[in-house]
Amino acid sequence: MDQQMREDLLKLFQTKLNRAMVYYLETCTRCGVCTTACHVYQSMPQARYIAAYRAEIVRRIYKKHFKGQGKLWPSYGEAKELTEAALQELYDAAYSCTGCRRCMVYCPFGIDTQMLMSIAKLLLVGAHAEPEILTLLADTSIEKGRSLEFFKEGFLQGVKNLEQKVVEKWKLEAEGKTVIPVDVEGAELLYVALAGAHSIIPAAAVFNAAGENWTLSFFEAVNFGAFVGDPTRTKLILDRIVNEALRLKVKEVCICECGTAYRVMKQLSGTQPFKVSSVTEVHARYLREGRIRVSKKAFEGQVVTYHDPCQIARNGGVLEEPRFILQHLTDDFREMAPDPRYNYCCGGGGGLVALGEDTLDFRMKSAKVKAEQVQKTGATVLATACENCHTQLSDLNRHYGLGLNVQFLTSMVADALVVS
Amino acid sequence: MQTAYYLVLVPMVYAAFAVFVLGTVWRLVQTARRPAHPTTLQIFPKKEPAWLYAVGDTFLMPSIFRHSPVLWFFLAVFHVAVLLLIIGHLELFGDWPIFQLVPHEVFLGRGFVGLVAAVSVLYLFFRRFHAPVRDLSVPEDYYLLILLFLTIIFGSQMDWARRWYDYDVMGVSAYRAYLWSLVMLKPFVPDEILYSGHAFMLVLHVFFANLFLMVFPFTKMMHTFLALPMNLLRRG
Ligand code: SF4
Ligand code: SF4
Repeated sequence: MDQQMREDLLKLFQTKLNRAMVYYLETCTRCGVCTTACHVYQSMPQARYIAAYRAEIVRRIYKKHFKGQGKLWPSYGEAKELTEAALQELYDAAYSCTGCRRCMVYCPFGIDTQMLMSIAKLLLVGAHAEPEILTLLADTSIEKGRSLEFFKEGFLQGVKNLEQKVVEKWKLEAEGKTVIPVDVEGAELLYVALAGAHSIIPAAAVFNAAGENWTLSFFEAVNFGAFVGDPTRTKLILDRIVNEALRLKVKEVCICECGTAYRVMKQLSGTQPFKVSSVTEVHARYLREGRIRVSKKAFEGQVVTYHDPCQIARNGGVLEEPRFILQHLTDDFREMAPDPRYNYCCGGGGGLVALGEDTLDFRMKSAKVKAEQVQKTGATVLATACENCHTQLSDLNRHYGLGLNVQFLTSMVADALVVS
Repeated sequence: MQTAYYLVLVPMVYAAFAVFVLGTVWRLVQTARRPAHPTTLQIFPKKEPAWLYAVGDTFLMPSIFRHSPVLWFFLAVFHVAVLLLIIGHLELFGDWPIFQLVPHEVFLGRGFVGLVAAVSVLYLFFRRFHAPVRDLSVPEDYYLLILLFLTIIFGSQMDWARRWYDYDVMGVSAYRAYLWSLVMLKPFVPDEILYSGHAFMLVLHVFFANLFLMVFPFTKMMHTFLALPMNLLRRG
């Protein structure tokens, strides 16, 4: 790596050094309490999968380039120069961490390993050594925001086709209203879905059953910028939705079942005239207010458990709502052990699922402990509220022969709708 | 020899305190002036009042208790012992009625506090030779523990000598005279200290303590001050 490149990367590093980050970099006592926190380490007990070990890879570079200690006496803290080899180490550390923050619950100081890994990811982006596909996907999303006119026609046609399916399945005539409204100014709620019928059809059925004044976003919720750890792209992707919400003057932005999208929207959109909810929260509200009714028939005789998506539950705070919904759907709900704060990551976060086949082997091996955790509940239905988790859990189901029915919580609500 | 003793007991002590105080303040101010993180860093479910839970996390270390009870035991013993030793040193400056609520001779604990502190440091040290902590440890972790151990051992030696072996040449009154002279900026080392057969113990104790204070602001020892703000971030 030449000097210019190193300087550029260190400038990027510098942008990350806010107060919290410096706390996290300065404080680890390497006590090892976080060792068993990580699902990757639990499944494959190797030192490199310990949270503090990953963090130390970033910390070594910090010591070398940002601390007097690392310049005067590098061996004291094993300070390390930023080199090509260091980049490879950063890659291995960051892309075997799903950013679930389970280790943060263990650490006596609450060190956020996901945040430390965001330095690694940013340096990789700066060195063009990140998983290219994630950047490509992020750029596609950004491009769609810039040239919406170009995509509009195809999108509207696609939505028309989906409407048919909603009407057929739920016999929901939306009383002269459009079944899937798009671009409605003054709507109450903007629903941001994913590209894919499964994210739109059941949601549309529930919104219409609840008599919601809603509108579907042109954009997909997923934020590949966040996966690849690129703050600029993350912001551009987020802003498309924020601007749409402002243009349509909605009061609420409802994010579909996508953990990262929810957390990014909820925590990064700043103070806005609309509130941000997850579709799980909205469904729970409909049930509480009696705006929709569901029956337990659809899942009779089934044992149901729920996987808390890390970004929605431990990191987003939506814990009560899915349980409230499930109480209405089944009489046999079983909680996983240990409790939700300690829930294991599915093993697919941090962009790993988006990397598809390339990470499949690692994802299956590293989430062995998750498969066991699910199995112990004796459930037949595994519900979750995140696209990534759903994909990963389905892969686990196949790989470990768990014989489960992996379901989206929204689909379960839609399937159990009692339409009067 | 007495010159070397004097250098450690007077100029080096001043230097160590200056580096410790200024270094710590400088590092804390420098960090506090950095921008705050734009989003919340808390973990859910949130418990109220969050600050109280953060204080609990900091001083009781419940997560260590849950996941590593043996380590918790030694850490708790170690930190409490260090606190008692700090109180003991304050008492070398004068009588504090508040500390005498439990009537005792200076130092508290009849010499056992130092012993317990030394044993727990040994535990923390040898623990690091064991996987997986071995894989996480860097030289800093060993150096700091060695430094602590040496400081505690030589310091405790003096206490032990007085209590267990009836050694009474260097006593509390000599230390008080010495320490107050430092505070009043009229440094002088009483002859009982400078010429006693046990002087080397005091000198080594002070020497290692000086070193420890001087590296403090630049090492992971800053966790002393950062633990609470960090736990506040986690508790939201
Ligand atoms: S638990 Fe926290 S302080 Fe201990 S090694 Fe892990 S990250 Fe470091
Ligand atoms: S954030 Fe999750 S995946 Fe990453 S080190 Fe911590 S426990 Fe492991």
